[in-house]
Amino acid sequence: MAEIKIDAKCLQCPGPIVQLFNAVKSAQSGDVIVVEATDRGFYKDVQAWCKKTGNELLSLEDGDVIVARVKKA
Amino acid sequence: MKQRLVVIGGVASGTKTAAKAIRENPDLEITVITEEDYISYAGCGLPYYIGNVIRDKKHLTVMNPEKFKEKGITVLLHTRAEKIIPSQKVVKAKDMVTGEEKEFPYDKLVLATGAKPIVPPIPGIELKNVYVLRSVTDAFKIRDAVEKEGIKKAVVVGGGFIGLEVAENLTLRGVKVTLVELLDQILPNFDKEIALLAEKHLKEKGVEVFTSEKALSIEGKDGKATALLTDKRKIDADMVLLSIGVKPDTQLAAGAGIELGIKGAIKVNENMETNIHDIYAVGDCAENINLVTGKPAWFPMGSTANKMGRVAALNLYPKGEKESLEGVLGTTVVKLFDINVAKTGLSEKDAKNAGYNIITVIVPAHDRAHYYPGAKNIITKLIVDKATHRLLGAQIIGEGVVDKPIDIAATVITLKGTVEDMAKLDLAYAPPFSSAMSSTIVAANVARNKLLGKLEGISPLELKDRLSDPELQIIDVREEAEYLVGTIPGARNIPLKEIRQRAGEIDKQRETVVLCKIGLRAYLAYITLKHLGVQKLKILDGGVTAWPFELE
Repeated sequence: MAEIKIDAKCLQCPGPIVQLFNAVKSAQSGDVIVVEATDRGFYKDVQAWCKKTGNELLSLEDGDVIVARVKKA
Repeated sequence: MKQRLVVIGGVASGTKTAAKAIRENPDLEITVITEEDYISYAGCGLPYYIGNVIRDKKHLTVMNPEKFKEKGITVLLHTRAEKIIPSQKVVKAKDMVTGEEKEFPYDKLVLATGAKPIVPPIPGIELKNVYVLRSVTDAFKIRDAVEKEGIKKAVVVGGGFIGLEVAENLTLRGVKVTLVELLDQILPNFDKEIALLAEKHLKEKGVEVFTSEKALSIEGKDGKATALLTDKRKIDADMVLLSIGVKPDTQLAAGAGIELGIKGAIKVNENMETNIHDIYAVGDCAENINLVTGKPAWFPMGSTANKMGRVAALNLYPKGEKESLEGVLGTTVVKLFDINVAKTGLSEKDAKNAGYNIITVIVPAHDRAHYYPGAKNIITKLIVDKATHRLLGAQIIGEGVVDKPIDIAATVITLKGTVEDMAKLDLAYAPPFSSAMSSTIVAANVARNKLLGKLEGISPLELKDRLSDPELQIIDVREEAEYLVGTIPGARNIPLKEIRQRAGEIDKQRETVVLCKIGLRAYLAYITLKHLGVQKLKILDGGVTAWPFELE
């Protein structure tokens, strides 16, 4: 099980969710993708995205930098 | 003999008038009379006292009678003005503590009687724990109830600024708040899509919001409120706050034959003079002129009240030309939990009612450089006159800074500027403060593009109404990942980078709406599709970011 780190800070449109999506696509089942983002919308988006796609949101930290840990289904 | 000024009312405009008048005329004998227990208090700060954001009572009152005494101004508390006799130039009053009748002769009289809360005539308003919030004393009572009686559930009736601010402050103190509004939206002066975005945020923060719902009565047990009954449900509550609005307090003026104007406020000219010589009116009891339409309006706000007070004070004994206040815009700003909401000038509905032919834009942007930590979103709506390109109004909502851009808009409107003027403003820029193309300038440029016919938009409210229209096709041009998070009901996904190859999937004969997150990629898709022969094309104003309804 690999841990893949993505620095998606300071991105404008389309933003961190696309980075996460691409990382999950190329990852193996069970891999954990850690995304760091500054886009405020990501906090809500990542929750909605995981719910829809069935990937597991292991943790989500709010703050100036939002950190999401997502396990690929 | 010394000239005598009597001021009736001692909150914002009354004390302002007195303080300015003594600076202008040091020999003036000034008496301020008020029936309240406090003067010069921060009326707009009261919700924050309830929320314990303003901790100490004494911070609410900026001035007291002793400090005015030092300036040479006499302030009489608990003194109710009961009658004005203009023919004798005298005010009859009563000391509410001793019952003593008093007479105050004047050379000049300033009415600053303010506004009073409208209390709906419903059964149960006499119960304990039913409040209005207008005076410092009201705020003390509400905070005491929250702190000493362990209030768990509250109902706020009325979705204006005060109601919303109290709803926030009670929620932050752990009280479960339900807000009931008679109209079909909160923030009645705002356009609906902005109000809906605010409502969405309140709900996310745990406030229950019911619009288009009428409060019918308050139920109680042992003399204490226990529930609010509406035309749709029963809401349990151990506190009810009535904040359905205020009306000008003009009984005294009307009794003296002073002419009233719009919404029953005292009619004044731009010099704050009433129809009776030597009687002036300022603050919430008096009317204003709407600077955009030039028509009478009523904006009961502290900022306007202070300006009116200054004008009246200068005109008591004018040295040279009279001072005037030509009008105001009703500029306002409010904080609701994590978002800020602001407005200036005409709303879309105001502009339409006033007969303007308008265009509107809704433009999301960051409040500073998007890469600078702490950058937050704001959504700007502009209302622009089609004929002259003049800015008529603006509304801004979001987590970011809204007061600066709304003040820029207010300045543009005041100086009768166009969106072209606005787009060319040389505004302060460094990443911690703004973007190289600030949100204000971007919004103005989108408006210019619309005026030039470079793009056609569809507002969120219009699209919502047409979601089931089979003639309409909706294309979301964001990336698949973004589309999956949530889109407008019924929208198909064709990412911008595939739009050229997949244009065949779009029926050129049907009306087409393209959308993205904020509008930029939709505009690029719009240009491409127009070029490829899609004729009936529109961009969703404000994109997914400004969509105030559910996504799917």
